[in-house]
Amino acid sequence: MKHKYRNVVLLLAVLMLNIIFTQYMVHQYFFEHYKNSLIAAIINVGLFPIAFIIYKNDKKGVSTNE
Amino acid sequence: MSDKNNKIPFNEDNYTHNINRNNERKLDRRGFMKTLVGAAGVFAISSLPWGTLAAKELTGLSDKKYPKQKITDVKSIAVGDAVDFAFPGEHDSAILIRLSENKYVAYQNACTHLRCPVFWNKNEEEMICPCHHGKFNVQTGEPIAGPPRRPLPEIQVKIENGAIYAVRVKRYEA
Repeated sequence: MKHKYRNVVLLLAVLMLNIIFTQYMVHQYFFEHYKNSLIAAIINVGLFPIAFIIYKNDKKGVSTNE
Repeated sequence: MSDKNNKIPFNEDNYTHNINRNNERKLDRRGFMKTLVGAAGVFAISSLPWGTLAAKELTGLSDKKYPKQKITDVKSIAVGDAVDFAFPGEHDSAILIRLSENKYVAYQNACTHLRCPVFWNKNEEEMICPCHHGKFNVQTGEPIAGPPRRPLPEIQVKIENGAIYAVRVKRYEA
């Protein structure tokens, strides 16, 4: 039961990171620190495949158990 | 069932009788995870324009060109002194500071907080905005104290034949 929700918690963590980096990105853009803003944008884009991989791995785990 | 289909239209006021939702709207664990992945995708896509704009600023594509403009003569400004001028428009007030014999810096002196004029404090060697005591680094224009969080737009200067010219604004916001 508990390990079923491990991936959900991981995805929620990814989403929290998304929120943090989005706010950082917008603020750094406003403060004209464009390099930091660009780095945050790249991290934000990179978090999506991570989230997708977590979801895909979860599917595999369920199919082998059942 | 069969006699219902033969009567057209059969007597029924429920026009949605053939829709069977079959719990398709139920949000289970997997559905919730799918939503989270979708949200991550929305975040990723919404980051793209910011990243593009930041990259554009870094490459300097948005720099504008202005005709060069004489500020003052080298003789009339002593080391450590400042002179006010306007560049590129007549209402874009700016300040030129002579830091050493050969080092000049110039900034548009509207404070990046609420656009009060920024002054050169010779004794403390920093630029100060009197409205809310915002301070700027004179070497780079970066804010170092107070409410402003953005650097002052820097103006590049050039010395020709004993006169100082403003050449271009590194970043100009109208």
